[in-house]
Amino acid sequence: MESVEKTEKIAALLEEKFGAKRDAKARWDVAVVVAAEYLPNAVEFLKNDPDIRMDMLVDIAGIDYLTYPNHEGPRFAVSYAFKSTVNQGCRLRLKVLVGEDCPKVPTLTGFYDSADWLEREVYDQFGIVFTGHPDLRRLLNHVEFVGHPLRKDYPAQKRQWLSTNDFLLPELEKRLEKLGYRIVQRSKEVLPNDDEFLEGSIRE
Amino acid sequence: MIVLDPNGEKLNLMPLNVGPTHPATHHCIRLLAALDGETIVAGVSEIGYMHRGFEKMVERGTWQQVIPYTDRLNYCSAMMNNIAFCRAVENMFGVEIPERCKVLRVIVNELSRINDHFICVAAAFQDLGGTTPFMYAFNPREEIMCIWEKLTGARLTNSFARIGGLYRDTYDGFEREVLAALDSTEKALKDLHACLDRNRIFLDRTVGIGKISKEHAISHGWTGPCLRACGVASDLRKDEPYYDYETYDWEVVVGTQGDANDRLQVRLAEIEESVKIVRQALKRLTPGPVDIVDPRIRVPAHKLAYQDMEGLIGRFKSVYEGIRVPEGEYYSASECANGELGFTIVSDGSGHPYRIKVRSPSLNHVAAFSEIVEGLTLADSMATLPGLNMIAGELDR
Repeated sequence: MESVEKTEKIAALLEEKFGAKRDAKARWDVAVVVAAEYLPNAVEFLKNDPDIRMDMLVDIAGIDYLTYPNHEGPRFAVSYAFKSTVNQGCRLRLKVLVGEDCPKVPTLTGFYDSADWLEREVYDQFGIVFTGHPDLRRLLNHVEFVGHPLRKDYPAQKRQWLSTNDFLLPELEKRLEKLGYRIVQRSKEVLPNDDEFLEGSIRE
Repeated sequence: MIVLDPNGEKLNLMPLNVGPTHPATHHCIRLLAALDGETIVAGVSEIGYMHRGFEKMVERGTWQQVIPYTDRLNYCSAMMNNIAFCRAVENMFGVEIPERCKVLRVIVNELSRINDHFICVAAAFQDLGGTTPFMYAFNPREEIMCIWEKLTGARLTNSFARIGGLYRDTYDGFEREVLAALDSTEKALKDLHACLDRNRIFLDRTVGIGKISKEHAISHGWTGPCLRACGVASDLRKDEPYYDYETYDWEVVVGTQGDANDRLQVRLAEIEESVKIVRQALKRLTPGPVDIVDPRIRVPAHKLAYQDMEGLIGRFKSVYEGIRVPEGEYYSASECANGELGFTIVSDGSGHPYRIKVRSPSLNHVAAFSEIVEGLTLADSMATLPGLNMIAGELDR
């Protein structure tokens, strides 16, 4: 029960500092809706405040409200679940509402390592762009996949021809450069959309 | 490719694809490693080879129809996933399950955890060339599997939990067989420790290999035995207790080094703790109902459907329309064998889930994999992977 009071207090602080609003939909846990532009500041506060210490980004979930009954407001939402390993049992969800025409949210990769793949997954499944993400590629779906399957308007039965594997060499080079290596001579450059690379693929 | 290393020395690196189906990965994961001789200089990994669209599929069925899909998340301990999902939905309903159901769920949870940890340690040993411990671990595991057969009718994908109860009560002799399985588990643990603890070859291969620091692991979102191996005493069964876990007498196991050896040793020690919990739970197992009585949540028994109009209506509505989970959004987490299994659930109040996002522990572990193997030899990377217990079913969903 102690942790519940604590989370309530954190939510109140977020409301005060970052203009966040309590999410009325969260009836069983504490969630606050924060504007996209305040997200990095709010997360920095959550992570670094000595009393709060939300040091783990547990999950990022995309939500598409397209067919939600009587829904008003932006079409998408991104729900971030945080927890603290210091104040055990302390959890909080942050929600960012994202419009359909400009689905952009600032990245959290600067704060948490786990944000890397979790944001890639949301991008993959919903097409929400995380600005500033160092390597925003698809994660679960195939490199040739077209569309974002967890959007409500993506038909579940739709089939796509996917033939070639992810090349991955440019990513490896990027990783080497990040580690301080300098590429002198590259392996033969092949891009996933090269004709030569796609030879044998039935895709047009 | 030719590169200059940070000291300006010229190196000729070989990019090598490990996987997608490398024998030691057990599942499909691809690691593209830049090798300098035998050492991995840098790596990037690709997942998604077993992506079946769990989250899209569950949106098409009713709430109860999600349960068989959850079996296919971590299929080494299928029932833990069933229970984790059912617990999340029960929390949304705000119902309390009967005492016997709670205790049974604890027993099933902990036996599943034993199973899962055994297969992880066994496979890790097998990957390093030790077949004997594999058999030591699989004997008690087989006994538990036989209990599953009798209890649920299936060995692997059991679908045992139900929202508001269980598929059915136990059979005659369940307690006796569980006790026998626990005895063999303890015997196997002794044998395994004899194989592991002072085995020079094994220690050389795993001690100090694939190390990760506490802070790094937390930042990567590691949970479960992998995080505890780094020395963080974080276990949802203690931190956010459910099913009266706090009233059982057991300890959270933590490691010190956060290396491949610690991750396996923590698992073995957790089996001991699970055995303790199951022994205590068996003593608490008293006769009583396992299902809640509410036709809006738990479908009425078959018997009622044939005798009674309300029972028939209840079954009909529950099967055709699905149960109506209250509208709202919720994140619920449970401690599963691999770590925190979470469900972000969005309900629009209808009989079908609007959106269910699975937070799988494996995803966060594997995300760090390519980073922690940098600097290791290729062979050591394959000694690191089994300790993470990557399960493609929950990794790719």
